[in-house]
Amino acid sequence: MLEGKFDEASLLKKIIDAIKDCVQLCNFNCTEKGITLQAVDDSRVLLVSLLIGEEAFTDYRCDRNITLGVDLSSFSKMIKCGNNEDFLTLIAEDSPDTVLVVFEDKNRERISEYSLKLMDIDNEFLKIDDMDYDSVITMPAGEFAKIVRDLKNLSESLGILVTKDTVKFLSEGDIGSGSVVVKPFTDLEKPENSVKVSLKKPVNLTFGLKYLSDIIKATNLAESVTIKIADKVPALFEYKLPSGYLRFYLAPKFDEEE
Amino acid sequence: MFMRATTRNKFTNSLFTTTFAIAFTLVGLNSVIPCPIDQKNMANDSVSPSEVAAKKQGPVVSAFSDIKDVYSSKEATEIEVKEVKEVFQKQVIADPEDATTKVQETPKRILAEATESLSKKVKTDEELPATQVIEADVTTVETSVETKALTEADVPTSSKALAAGPIPYAALCKVFEKIEDESGRLKITAYCTEFFLEVLQSNPSKLVQITYLFINRLGPDYEPGLELGLGETLLIKAIGENYGRPAAKIKADFHETGDLGIVAEQSRASQPTMFKPKPLDVDTVFKQLTAIARSTGKNSQGAKISIIGKMLTACSGTEARFLIRSLEGKLRIGLAEKTVLNALAASFVQYEAARDAKKQSPRQMEELLAKAEDMIKDAFCQVPNYEIVITNALQYGIFSLSKHCTLKPGVPLKPMLAKPTKSITEVLDRFQGEEFTCEYKYDGERAQVHLLDSGEVKVYSRNSEDMSQRYPDIIDAVKHFLKPDVCTTSLILDCEAVAWDREAQKILPFQVLSTRKRKDVEERDIKVHICLFAFDMLCLNGEPLIMKSLAERRGLMESVLSPVEGKFQYATTMNTSSIEEIQVFLDKSVSSACEGLMVKMLNGSESGYEPSKRSRNWLKLKKDYLAGVGDSLDLVVVGAYIGKGKRTGSYGGFLLATYNPDTSEYETTCKIGTGFSDEDLAALYLKLFPTVISQPKSYYVYDTTNGNAKPDVWFEPTTVFEVLTADLSLSPIYKAGHNVMGRGISLRFPRMLRVRDDKGTEDATSSDQIIEMYERQASLN
Repeated sequence: MLEGKFDEASLLKKIIDAIKDCVQLCNFNCTEKGITLQAVDDSRVLLVSLLIGEEAFTDYRCDRNITLGVDLSSFSKMIKCGNNEDFLTLIAEDSPDTVLVVFEDKNRERISEYSLKLMDIDNEFLKIDDMDYDSVITMPAGEFAKIVRDLKNLSESLGILVTKDTVKFLSEGDIGSGSVVVKPFTDLEKPENSVKVSLKKPVNLTFGLKYLSDIIKATNLAESVTIKIADKVPALFEYKLPSGYLRFYLAPKFDEEE
Repeated sequence: MFMRATTRNKFTNSLFTTTFAIAFTLVGLNSVIPCPIDQKNMANDSVSPSEVAAKKQGPVVSAFSDIKDVYSSKEATEIEVKEVKEVFQKQVIADPEDATTKVQETPKRILAEATESLSKKVKTDEELPATQVIEADVTTVETSVETKALTEADVPTSSKALAAGPIPYAALCKVFEKIEDESGRLKITAYCTEFFLEVLQSNPSKLVQITYLFINRLGPDYEPGLELGLGETLLIKAIGENYGRPAAKIKADFHETGDLGIVAEQSRASQPTMFKPKPLDVDTVFKQLTAIARSTGKNSQGAKISIIGKMLTACSGTEARFLIRSLEGKLRIGLAEKTVLNALAASFVQYEAARDAKKQSPRQMEELLAKAEDMIKDAFCQVPNYEIVITNALQYGIFSLSKHCTLKPGVPLKPMLAKPTKSITEVLDRFQGEEFTCEYKYDGERAQVHLLDSGEVKVYSRNSEDMSQRYPDIIDAVKHFLKPDVCTTSLILDCEAVAWDREAQKILPFQVLSTRKRKDVEERDIKVHICLFAFDMLCLNGEPLIMKSLAERRGLMESVLSPVEGKFQYATTMNTSSIEEIQVFLDKSVSSACEGLMVKMLNGSESGYEPSKRSRNWLKLKKDYLAGVGDSLDLVVVGAYIGKGKRTGSYGGFLLATYNPDTSEYETTCKIGTGFSDEDLAALYLKLFPTVISQPKSYYVYDTTNGNAKPDVWFEPTTVFEVLTADLSLSPIYKAGHNVMGRGISLRFPRMLRVRDDKGTEDATSSDQIIEMYERQASLN
């Protein structure tokens, strides 16, 4: 039996909105520690890994591990039916055919219930070990989103060049080129505005902007984004949740010349 | 180490392509490998930069063909990789016979051995000073060793390359690639033969699919709905979605390379995937291609893109290139269907010789080969269905094909074709001292009419396509043409279907016939009526007649059928040997709206029906081949189409126009693409490229509403082509003479003769002249 109650429906809404465009059919794995999800987009370039920790819920209980196979586009339609401030509770049996979504209005006595049919989704689950990256950048999520949006107008790929204490985002296209340089900076009043760069080794990598545009849909979820990159391994883009995270792993592109 | 699969076999592939694998890898087998732990410890203990660089580099995965992955450790130096390989090869060599069966267990053993030796090595390395382990260099060495090891491992011995079971699509693509890089036909045949032989020896049931993939078809020509030839836009969309690139970029690359296959391959190479999906095999590809060809209806675009997407994602290396080309409907590797047939014959001969363990001298082999080639060609002409031919060859042996593959109603055979001639004297020279006959050559569509034992009637085109849907009127009428007093159960007739004006009782030109609907024709809606002109019978009551003489076949045909005026007639014939009479007969045929004459051998062994052959026993005498009938036209080049494929980098076709002196305008009249050599095209490109203009001149008259009427580039009017044409016809999109005719006149089958350097563009054929030529055409009389 799964019962997970969110204080505000908006959190789950934002999470689903962030990933529903790149992955469609996903298994939500519910354990006593929380809910996890892992999925790869159709082109197998972008991997989404989500953890909603137990503490993100006001009430959470899951006696036995349960897998919920969900079509995200249908799920998204349903959870849009609640108001942002509503309590949202997910309820499922031990071997469920459906998952129940319950919204409770905090001011009025109104309860709405939706039940979503589940699917059998064949999905390989990979254990992702922590690994060492050459560079770790933490920056305001909004700023990263703006860089991606701006540079997407110029080209199909975005170069990320990390050298000592600077991060350079650049794209070159037919109409011209553009670059944004970000340097470490500490804002004592608003720590979320700070930019941190830790570097073990300079990195120069290129990523498909199509996938980065998918990633920045998670911008609303967190104040800052952490980007971990190393040569020739998938980069990690992490948005922290109140408890847990939403991570994207993106395979870098090969240089055009190669 | 980055990731570890929790399930055993879903994740046995490296994350990236092989080159990537050296730096970033996974361990797929559950077998416990001690080294990663050692490695972690070591990495943590050491702080030297080279060690740090090495830290992220996981164990090297090397995929040994499709057998199973063999793993070595991250510190694998050149020697160590070799060790692993040697162990593996020893294993294979030790028991070559059942290597394939043992393979399942082999990797584990090798793995254990290799791991043991490697972990020892790792320990030694640990003790060495960091400076001695020049990691960076090792990385590069490894790369090359890896690649080499892979290519060698891929083909342990040629016959063992394909194990029983699914055949990887990559194996097919490898052959395609070899063929593409080779221009010699003998070499190409040899490559095909080698591959077909491998298939025969490992998995003969797959040979049919393989053959179809080689000729880029999905079934026999006469089976409808199996065409690929998807549009560029759709493919561009699919490539974009699956390789994460905007469609506009792909389009730009396409214009540069002229080949979407290459664009796809490059897009794939530049964007690696997180995990490799299951590699494509021939079965899957064939099935998916068929599903794409068969999907119709309003959601079919989306469905097609999704199937293509799944396949594209699974592609690696050159697979994307050939897959996209297959989908486009043109493989473009310079592989003729004839070569495939020859290779099939050769592979069957070698297969049977090896199977029966017969020792043959090279000369005997050569003779057998020649015999097999004839056998398979003959069988295929009578039964143009690879499935039937190959299945019979497998079952009864290639040399028994003539017994088992004979024509039968319901399976269209390749029609016999005629050689063109330029003059009546040429005809007489050929048939000197022989009995021959002349027939009208009707201007319609070749139609092979089959009456099956079941009573069903089928009509097939010149290309063996099923046209039964297009001609329901023929289907219904055929039984009425049979003589009621003769029992006829089945037959095959060779006919020309011609548009017929029932009121005026005369033949209509080909253009009228082509206005008929091509699909879902309802008999009551038919406005253009058909008259069938039969000229040959190939099979009667199940008995093939093609070995009989033409005179006999005609006799039999006339004995079972009775003509019905305006619906079913025999081709008008005349037996003569006088040049004057032939001339008169030819003029008569032209004035009866025919294209000219067919002259055929009437008696003797040479008068048999030779399926698919352009035989010298049939000659055609067309009015426009004859001197004096078809005048050439001098037309102005106003635009061109960007060349694709072989013509990449030059123009592939040109838009031509007549000059109208009354209005001083150039009126478009046709597109031309034949009659150019590669040198011609290159020279024309140099000549015309400087005259490109961004907008058409205001005095160019073309159909602005129709995208098809617009060329890719426009030119200043500078150049005049002399062009030959088979016919003139009214066109919905061209404009020559449109002021007078209402619609423009266009050229049918225009052919380039030469560049008229001596003519100015205003001296070109005028619009009035082309109207005059059009009105002079006999078919209008």
